[in-house]
Amino acid sequence: MAITATSTVAMVREKFPQAVVETVDFRGEETIVLLPEQLVVVCAYLQKNQQYSFLSSVTAVDWLEREPRYDVVYHLMSIPNQSELRLKVRVGQHGEEHPSVPTVSGIWPGANWYEREVYDLFGIPFAGHPDLRRILMPMDWTTHPLRKDYPLRGFDLPEPHWGGQVPYDTDPGVGSQTMRTPYSRELNESRSKFTESQEPGTDKK
Amino acid sequence: MQKQDIETQYTIEDSQSLEDGNRNDTMTINMGPQHPSTHGVLRLILTINGETVVKAVPDIGFLHTGIEKTAEAKTYHQALVLTDRMEYLSPLCNNLGYSLAVEKLLGIEDEITDKIKFVRVLLAELQRIASHLVFLGTHALDLGAMSVFLYCFREREMILDVFEEISGVRMMTSYICPGGLQADLTPAFDGKVRAFTSIFLDRLQEYHDLLTNNQLWMERTKGVGILSAKDAIAYGASGPVLRGSNVVWDIRKAFPYSGYEKFDFDIPVGTNGDVYDRYLVRMLEMEQSLKLVNQALEGMPTGAYRVHNPKVAPPPKWQITGSMEALIHHFKLYTEGYRPPKGEVFVRTEAPKGELGFYIVSDGTAKPYRMHVRAPSFANLEALPLMIEGGFLADVVAAIGSIDIVLGEVDR
Repeated sequence: MAITATSTVAMVREKFPQAVVETVDFRGEETIVLLPEQLVVVCAYLQKNQQYSFLSSVTAVDWLEREPRYDVVYHLMSIPNQSELRLKVRVGQHGEEHPSVPTVSGIWPGANWYEREVYDLFGIPFAGHPDLRRILMPMDWTTHPLRKDYPLRGFDLPEPHWGGQVPYDTDPGVGSQTMRTPYSRELNESRSKFTESQEPGTDKK
Repeated sequence: MQKQDIETQYTIEDSQSLEDGNRNDTMTINMGPQHPSTHGVLRLILTINGETVVKAVPDIGFLHTGIEKTAEAKTYHQALVLTDRMEYLSPLCNNLGYSLAVEKLLGIEDEITDKIKFVRVLLAELQRIASHLVFLGTHALDLGAMSVFLYCFREREMILDVFEEISGVRMMTSYICPGGLQADLTPAFDGKVRAFTSIFLDRLQEYHDLLTNNQLWMERTKGVGILSAKDAIAYGASGPVLRGSNVVWDIRKAFPYSGYEKFDFDIPVGTNGDVYDRYLVRMLEMEQSLKLVNQALEGMPTGAYRVHNPKVAPPPKWQITGSMEALIHHFKLYTEGYRPPKGEVFVRTEAPKGELGFYIVSDGTAKPYRMHVRAPSFANLEALPLMIEGGFLADVVAAIGSIDIVLGEVDR
């Protein structure tokens, strides 16, 4: 029997009844919501036994008001069976600043960069990840821009505020440039006026 | 957690003699972000031993523009223009992917007329040719064949003229939009497309004559930057990179969208997964795209260019001036936008670079709650170290060119 998204959902439900929180079918797309601790087992099963060898993407959604706060979303595809499937885990209990999710980069090596991106933009670390660094934002960035409590623009802070770093003094490229080191930050007046707790995205609920 | 050591070492490490007398000198060098052959602002941290690349660490994010964040503050129609700016060499394919995702979210897929589908296919395939022409030109330029670049851009201009004819702009067209097209085709459209299709097969043959059997070209590209089929799938590589590694996989065939199931075309694949195969796959794809353009042009149905759904597409101008109902719809559409039901969709399309996926989450308001873009170049670039590690430093340029990255899409 050919493997389809529907048959995979039934198979996962049968095989891992304790791992499945719920399954959703919206516009013909199947979603399985899993418990985070069972994620790796189910993914390994899907990759090996159900031929979901292609991981299209890993991303996250921040539901600020909800408990648990984040959805981490995996889009799988099976090349031999031409079927697609979405997995989801929900993490982030109340007051948990950096909720952890187990990595799937051992199953699909391509997950490496996607998980770095999610870590970078949402602040969700992946336990067991081989190389968990920021990927899109600068290495010395302190906050996570795709969180919903991160402002789109207009920080309530003196300008320039570039997420904890000040790249240059007043006149970029001409004259005496300020180096991007912690020591030179004090040269910039606006930087010294605010405290760590004013960083966007860090206000405690 | 942060590996600062990669960032700071740019010195020649202490040379040391191994037991067999060979010296093991490795040097860490920095390639990019301002390097003409990295196709944008890609930075590679290369550890080399003599001429051989031992380790390659790509560093991206120099073009991070926060498009996913920005989209959350725009209505669905406004967010369309952001998609143009991600993959700036094929904006129409991005428009198409986004529009399909929004239409699926709205549940109006059945209302899309055949005319809209055919125009979309025609434009997406023209765009694919244009994108592959830029690939061919810059890739050849990287490897020292300058004249190809000039010829390719000559033909690309003709395609951009077609886009200008229908939408008014050459590149950032936003022409394909949720609910159909921004405007109807112009009378001169047909002639301009035919002017291109009538010469392009000959021009394609000229490129083949210049490169395909050229001994120098083969020396530079054959057996270079090999990516096995297994690795390509494991790393999520898609598009010509995946097909170059001899995997017969095309989203247009596997999950047909926008009426591709009605068209007749083949999927060219390579054999070894080297730079030459990826080049050849793209060359053959241009031929198939031309075939698709011709089919769409010949079979172009008549009909409306946008759906008759006042909640999604504005009513025609003559109605707005005469009917209060139409005026209200128009006003509401452009001030508030439309509100798809709560839910989430992930729509894959075959963009020129590979599998382009739009994941859009709706919370029932007029703005996307979350828009994630599965950018093909992002995954293809992740597989780059596999291609270049163990090879020569000079072949790094060949491998980068062959995956055809666009950093606007990688960093988004």
